[in-house]
Amino acid sequence: MTVDESVRAPANEPTVAGSHKPTYAVENSGDPLATLMRARQLIHDAQAAIEEASKSVVQQRAASAEIPERELRLAKAENEREELSTRLAEVEHQVGRLMTLYVATYQLHATLDPADVLSTIAEIVVNLLGAEQFALLLRDEDEKALEIRLQEGDIDAPWSRAPHYTGGDPLIDASLIDGMLRFGPSESSPVLVTVPLRVQDVTVGALVITKLFEHKGKLDEEDRDLLDLLGAHAASALFASRVYSRAARKLRTLEGLIKLVRKG
Amino acid sequence: MNVVKTRKVLVVEDSRLIHKMYEVMLRPCLLIAAHDGREGLARLAENPDVDVIILDINMPHMTGLEFLGQVKTNAALASIPVIIVSTEGKEEDVARGLQAGAVAYLKKPFQREDLLKIIGRLEGKQVSP
Repeated sequence: MTVDESVRAPANEPTVAGSHKPTYAVENSGDPLATLMRARQLIHDAQAAIEEASKSVVQQRAASAEIPERELRLAKAENEREELSTRLAEVEHQVGRLMTLYVATYQLHATLDPADVLSTIAEIVVNLLGAEQFALLLRDEDEKALEIRLQEGDIDAPWSRAPHYTGGDPLIDASLIDGMLRFGPSESSPVLVTVPLRVQDVTVGALVITKLFEHKGKLDEEDRDLLDLLGAHAASALFASRVYSRAARKLRTLEGLIKLVRKG
Repeated sequence: MNVVKTRKVLVVEDSRLIHKMYEVMLRPCLLIAAHDGREGLARLAENPDVDVIILDINMPHMTGLEFLGQVKTNAALASIPVIIVSTEGKEEDVARGLQAGAVAYLKKPFQREDLLKIIGRLEGKQVSP
């Protein structure tokens, strides 16, 4: 076979990115064998180019087939991210609640001055529970009556105008008897909540809330933790401070006496 | 999660309990404590570079609104953002606070995340009166 003319690539030959371009021109060297070899080489190169182009087309098709799967994975990842973000918000909220409880406990036991303990109880009830009207009833030293140790706001109840609580409100009375926290109000009681104050399993008083700030609305499940905390810690903090201040007073008296004796 | 980057916060508040609360809630921040408006102004004079002021309304000696008025009329301090955190929660109280120049008003009892959100927005300069 003699190939003695130039073989050229057609003008509309497609260009495939990345494929090596074969040389289609076959020089007429006059040596038919050499020309044949060159022609074979050209055919080989052309076949390689076609194979490469086919591969590229297959890859492109595969990539387009993967798109729905990728979208699916992206949507799943997005869902997981949202779920994590919700859980993180919940954890953050719980952390906030625990911080509130920690600070309330810390502050209740941070002082041994009875007046400071009372003021801390009031701060907790106003700032952390959102109470506008409340009273703290505590059994007095001879344990005969419940002294109204703290009162905030103008409580619309007959007992609020006396220095002592002598009974009459069914909700408060029931809490003082059985030591259980009770929510109101009811027809016979304006009290929103009464929290029995306990020291070593003995009810020694009650925190009575009769009105919340308008923006607070109502007491919720989260407030319950704080109410329980007050029930357990407020009275013991008050008693500890009272005992300490009594002991400190006695100590000062004794020191004064000793000084007098030494002078005499 | 809200990450508070703010470095220096002046807390003008008469409740020791709430001071402790801020101390725990805003742990990465340097807190400067004042217990009424008058003390707040004194602390501000010593620390004019505070990033945020957290302000209560009902305080002895000088109320929060009086303090805010003094801050906003002082050119050197007027740009410090003030967040009011108060039990006074009526609409007119909120309006009064924002009109006086506070960037946000939070009612007590408040959630920690709400305070962090406000401070976070302040860092992005997105809070407006």
